[in-house]
Amino acid sequence: MQQTKSKQHPQTAATVSAAPAPIIAVRKSCNPDGIGLSHYVLMDKKVAK
Amino acid sequence: MTVEALSRAGNGPAFIPVDIGHDVYAAVTDPNTAFWALVDKTRIHEEITGGPLLDSYRAKADSFARELHALRFELKPSGVYLNPTERCNLNCTYCYLPGEQRSNGSHMPPETLNASLGKLRDYFRSVMPEERKPRAIFHGAEPLMNKEAVFSAIDAFSEDFVFGLQTNGTLLDDAALEFLTSRNVSIGLSLDGPFAGITDATRKTWGGKSVHDKVLAAMKKLKGYGSWSVITTCTTENLPYLTQMVELFHASEVPTCMLNTVRCTLPGARGVKPADGDMAKSFFAAMDRTHELYRETGRKLIVANFANILIGILAPTARRLMCDISPCGGGRAFFALAADGGLYPCSEFIGLPRFNGGNLLAEGGVEAALASAAFQTVTTRDVDTFSPCGDCAIRHFCGSPCPAEAYEMNGGMEKTGAFCEFYKEQVNYALRLIADGKANDYLWDGWDGDTETVFNHALN
Repeated sequence: MQQTKSKQHPQTAATVSAAPAPIIAVRKSCNPDGIGLSHYVLMDKKVAK
Repeated sequence: MTVEALSRAGNGPAFIPVDIGHDVYAAVTDPNTAFWALVDKTRIHEEITGGPLLDSYRAKADSFARELHALRFELKPSGVYLNPTERCNLNCTYCYLPGEQRSNGSHMPPETLNASLGKLRDYFRSVMPEERKPRAIFHGAEPLMNKEAVFSAIDAFSEDFVFGLQTNGTLLDDAALEFLTSRNVSIGLSLDGPFAGITDATRKTWGGKSVHDKVLAAMKKLKGYGSWSVITTCTTENLPYLTQMVELFHASEVPTCMLNTVRCTLPGARGVKPADGDMAKSFFAAMDRTHELYRETGRKLIVANFANILIGILAPTARRLMCDISPCGGGRAFFALAADGGLYPCSEFIGLPRFNGGNLLAEGGVEAALASAAFQTVTTRDVDTFSPCGDCAIRHFCGSPCPAEAYEMNGGMEKTGAFCEFYKEQVNYALRLIADGKANDYLWDGWDGDTETVFNHALN
């Protein structure tokens, strides 16, 4: 099994002990036209002030 | 996975198992398509060697491969970083722009900025659908050092671009805030500490004065505005305080922040680079705290750089930032205009003359820059083609950022970026959140409103 973990391996805050489903596999898709910047996240919301 | 197991899986796409550190689940991925599934780890051998999951995936693998290829190689630019000045009133330890430019550089004249925006508008019209506007982000150095030119340009091109401004916040007086908020300009601030002693370690004026309180004052005035964010650059200086940072941001009603790893493009930044393990420990403690705050108050503080990793896993084409994909967005989804008119794949390269793709106002303009060898060096950086990324199960959730770091710090475009192990941990953390049904708690409300579900194993 590929190890993508380093020596530090923090757990999430609360890890459930029971599996809700034997398999979880979801993928969503949309039109990617025009996505993406880098250093800066553009907030598209209209002004609330 | 052994050769024997791969053989039993037969021909066609196959899964790589990944230990994500969860009590119940392990992941399987096909990195070629950025596909993932979480499976009961006691049954991972069965899922890899055959069965309904592998069958369902194989039926979709070609379409996922096409989607990923389009995302990686077929986008047209839709955004530009505008550097209206070389100057900055701060001398931050880790800045990726050369100190000589920031202290003694030039402003872009107003008429040149307007001419540049006119040419950029024409370019974007030629490649973008009519109903969509390109994004133009004033970036730095400190763009408000050339405020008159910037504000004039925002008014002159208000119908042509969606504008944003990334600023250190020190020049955001009431008049500037009124101008920007009344025009719905998205505003990004920078703050590195929960109190002055920490911020001052990396972000000070050239004379060594603190700017912490000025940024806090700007944050206070922006409270309630719908379109602002704050970036914290994570270094050795502030790593122990990231949890306090998110507490400050949440209390200040910051809607979105970024906890970015320091970009190690220039040597000054490498002196404050945290170790990957330390970064992971502090970062995830801060992420856990944002979740606690959300549960306590019902109000989210979105950490956009992590949210982007999570979205890149759940819906590759819905990601908002283009650092964590290979090739990155530099020079293909966006590009940067320097104050001297030079075009670069990203602002990160502005201090590196070899990545200058030509001048915007010269013949050829954007198209020539996109086709230039300087840009192609970045846009052809492909994690599929070099080691160790080429064998990595999560390479298209990460993208091995950043090419500027890889080139300058690690010796070439076919090297990893500065935080390989941290990225692996981010993906593991994200997959654990998905396993625990918590992923949406870390994402913008309605983030998937424009998406459709194209794979859900329970439905197949």
